[in-house]
Amino acid sequence: MKELEIRGSQNYVPVEIEDYPTSGWDKFTQVVKRTLKGELFVGLWVVFREMVKFDIHTLQYPEEVLPVSPRYRAVHKLLLLLESGSERCIGCGLCEKICIADCIRMDTKVDENSRKEVTEYSINLGRCIFCGYCAEVCPELAIVHGPRYENVSEQRAHFALKDDMLTPIDMLKAQKEYPGFGALSPNADELVKKTPLAY
Amino acid sequence: MYEMLLYLDGGNMINFKINGKDVVAQKGETILQVARKEGIYIPTMCYLEKTTPIGSCRLCVVEVEGYDAPILSCQSKPTDGIEVQTDSDELFKHRKNIMELYNVNHPLECGVCDKSGACDLQNKTLEFGLSCQSFTAKEQNRPKKDWGRIQYDESLCILCEKCVSTCNEAVGDDAIELHFGGYSSSIVPKGSETLDCTYCGECISVCPVGALISKDFKYTANAWELQKIPASCSHCSAGCEISYEVKHTSTEDQTQKIYRVTNDYEENTVCGAGRFGFDFGNSETKGDFSEAVEKLRNAKSIVFNSNITNEEAKILSEVSKKTGAKLVNREALNFQNFLKAFAVNAGESLYNGTLEDVADSNQVVVIGTKISTDNPAVRYALTQAFKRNRAFISYLHPVYDSLLQNTIRQFINYEVGTEEGVVALLVDTILENSELDLDIGYLSGETNVGEEELEQIAKISKRATKKTLVVGADLIAHPKAENIAKFLGLVQRTALWKVLIVPPETNSLGVAEICELSDEAVSPSVGYNMKADFVISALGGDFSVPALNQQEGTFVNLNREVVKTHVAVPFEGRNLNELANKVLGSDVENTIDYTKELFGTHFDDLEIFHLETEITSPKAEVSEVEDLPTFDGTLIYLSNPHLQFSPFTEKAISSEAPLLGSEQFAVAGKLSDGDEVEFEILGEKFRRKFQIDRNLRGVIALNPIFDMGLSAYSLSSNYRFQKAKIEKVK
Ligand code: SF4
Ligand code: SF4
Ligand code: SF4
Ligand code: SF4
Ligand code: SF4
Ligand code: FES
Repeated sequence: MKELEIRGSQNYVPVEIEDYPTSGWDKFTQVVKRTLKGELFVGLWVVFREMVKFDIHTLQYPEEVLPVSPRYRAVHKLLLLLESGSERCIGCGLCEKICIADCIRMDTKVDENSRKEVTEYSINLGRCIFCGYCAEVCPELAIVHGPRYENVSEQRAHFALKDDMLTPIDMLKAQKEYPGFGALSPNADELVKKTPLAY
Repeated sequence: MYEMLLYLDGGNMINFKINGKDVVAQKGETILQVARKEGIYIPTMCYLEKTTPIGSCRLCVVEVEGYDAPILSCQSKPTDGIEVQTDSDELFKHRKNIMELYNVNHPLECGVCDKSGACDLQNKTLEFGLSCQSFTAKEQNRPKKDWGRIQYDESLCILCEKCVSTCNEAVGDDAIELHFGGYSSSIVPKGSETLDCTYCGECISVCPVGALISKDFKYTANAWELQKIPASCSHCSAGCEISYEVKHTSTEDQTQKIYRVTNDYEENTVCGAGRFGFDFGNSETKGDFSEAVEKLRNAKSIVFNSNITNEEAKILSEVSKKTGAKLVNREALNFQNFLKAFAVNAGESLYNGTLEDVADSNQVVVIGTKISTDNPAVRYALTQAFKRNRAFISYLHPVYDSLLQNTIRQFINYEVGTEEGVVALLVDTILENSELDLDIGYLSGETNVGEEELEQIAKISKRATKKTLVVGADLIAHPKAENIAKFLGLVQRTALWKVLIVPPETNSLGVAEICELSDEAVSPSVGYNMKADFVISALGGDFSVPALNQQEGTFVNLNREVVKTHVAVPFEGRNLNELANKVLGSDVENTIDYTKELFGTHFDDLEIFHLETEITSPKAEVSEVEDLPTFDGTLIYLSNPHLQFSPFTEKAISSEAPLLGSEQFAVAGKLSDGDEVEFEILGEKFRRKFQIDRNLRGVIALNPIFDMGLSAYSLSSNYRFQKAKIEKVK
């Protein structure tokens, strides 16, 4: 029997399984044994016993959810700059352009300081294939895939709007730098060619 | 270091080699032009087909066998037998160096830059594989400049000077210049603090980077999201080729919206009305369809204007044939009659000049039009004629036009109303051995056109090889239009001069060719974008129809070409074709199904083509010029400012509409700048602010009509000089 590697915090218990019969005679005796032994009742007993014991090993969804890998690509988030709290998204439109499902749309305009302002940003999650291209292309690490993989909606087309995805300003402290898809590689510094500065 | 190859005359063809390939150059062609024709790529950053080579980028260098130093292919003309090499390691290194220099301190803001995705600097930086920067320079404070509709961002400017040379050589405003200052050079408005120009936006169009941008467009869309809808500008008879660039309105609203207008700036130049006046689509759907059908069916006359496609004009003709309603369009009727009279002596049914003829001429005479605002495309052609060929341009008009001060060589100021006499004198002058029997002394006295001035035209005409006469709206709507046209016909007939009669409205020529027109409307009348008992219009009215950027169709432009336009923005209601189907009892699916009836080809297969002119045997009949009228008192000229043509441009671009007068006019009328005044012209009451325009001379005030709603069209079908009593509003 192979050892199972157990990861995560769940308390898995391996089940013992006998080896399969190989010869014809063994198979025959197994059938006869199983027919006469009343194994069905053993099974029923186990179910009954576990039911009254309440020692359950399955995940208690939705109270419990499996932790996902940082590289998992679920519903998007729009991040803020950690220092200033300003939005990272500069409205360059690259995510909108690269999106293979054509499900990102955004509105931009000039703000009072003559900068580009993103007034609305939406992703049609019913169309998104969670490919991660948007996060990969984003030059500002603004759009990332968060860990929330549950989607509930009344219709196929449903949208995550800017307000749904943007880190609320009072949650800025809790915003984590994103290590997953599209993030800088750990050796990013070494890859950058430096430009001399005149001052 | 860079040597010009001198052109040695050896016939009209020069045979030489580019990258080993045998090529032929026409006389006067540069190496770059030949290479482009042959599909051989030479990178450029400052080259513009429509101006003289600027020579600022030095990216177009090529090697010529036998020469030590590389030469600039954009400026050099080949000589027989040379061997040109457009690419080598040496050249690549040289070009890469240039690109590196362009990138010094160039802000890393492609992410938000409006030009991103269509930026020459971006493209060439990638093309030369620049991944790092080895030069440095101290960064300086370079704030953005606000120039009205335009924003100039000095830090993005690569000083290619395309904008300057376009403004100077293609447009003629000469409004910007290069301010020298080594590393801190920049583009500045010429001779003033801020930009004061005709806002054609052509500089925005030619700028290879995001340094010059339209403020309205800024940060609203990216180049790659916009879909280009090929169209012809519907504001004047030049019918310039443009693209409406459209995208959905917002995340919430799917409806297509026009974000900007672009043009093929290498060859064409469009004016500000075309570039910025695109938002005139009709979003209303007023009125009851069956009521509109009834009104159309029972109309005794259908009043319309020439801001209309050929197909719509055809539909109106069909309706009129069926119901017996008269088609009323005074402006097109005037034009039709003018052409008819012109044809008598010209021996051809149409005039023969084009914009290209004007641009190629070395003598041009412009008469009876304030051309710089009546038809900017003609003005640009004049600019090019002057810049390229040093053309001798005479401008004959009662009102001096300061916009042309750099272009024209001779301004002849004639008396208002004496156009017939002026034309007679002019025709007598430019026709060698004319047999006209004129009382020159009398005419010269009455018109105020001096004999020396005319002699000068005659003198130049003897030398000039390509000559064009440009004729405008003042003559077409003139009470003596018929005789004027006959005189002009004599000019075309000589074949020494080309004649360009500028159609007063977008499609006057098309309408004149298609419709049988009459003059006076009778009740019950239906107006198509005109005032009438029942108004079908894209500008309010009783029943809504689509505007010209919401329709497919064709126009006939001033070059006599049939040009197409397409739907840029949707229209929710019904159109003229649907109304007509009910009246005609027919079942024509689309308006453009009429294209085939008109031009023999289905709309989708229609290539641009010229209207045929019918040859007749020319006569030489002109009537004697009788007593010329005199206009005394306060005179007003109906003339729109730049950026404005009609209620449609007014809807799209907001601008003021003051009564403009010279200082002299102000003194004579006891008016001062800013006074509120009232007056009446042709039954329309005007109430305007009086403004002194220091560029104006004389005692004629300019009164715009573009803001008069649908009345603008009826006003513009009259002789444009009118007497008026101006009263100050207390
Ligand atoms: S994950 Fe892929 S499909 Fe989804 S929004 Fe991003 S790019 Fe588009
Ligand atoms: S790629 Fe990033 S910065 Fe650019 S628009 Fe998308 S989210 Fe914003
Ligand atoms: S001008 Fe071109 S290179 Fe410069 S920021 Fe704009 S897009 Fe980028
Ligand atoms: S908008 Fe036209 S006239 Fe004004 S500076 Fe630019 S090119 Fe010249
Ligand atoms: S503003 Fe644009 S076109 Fe003019 S010099 Fe600068 S980069 Fe060239
Ligand atoms: S294209 Fe020849 S110098 Fe720029």
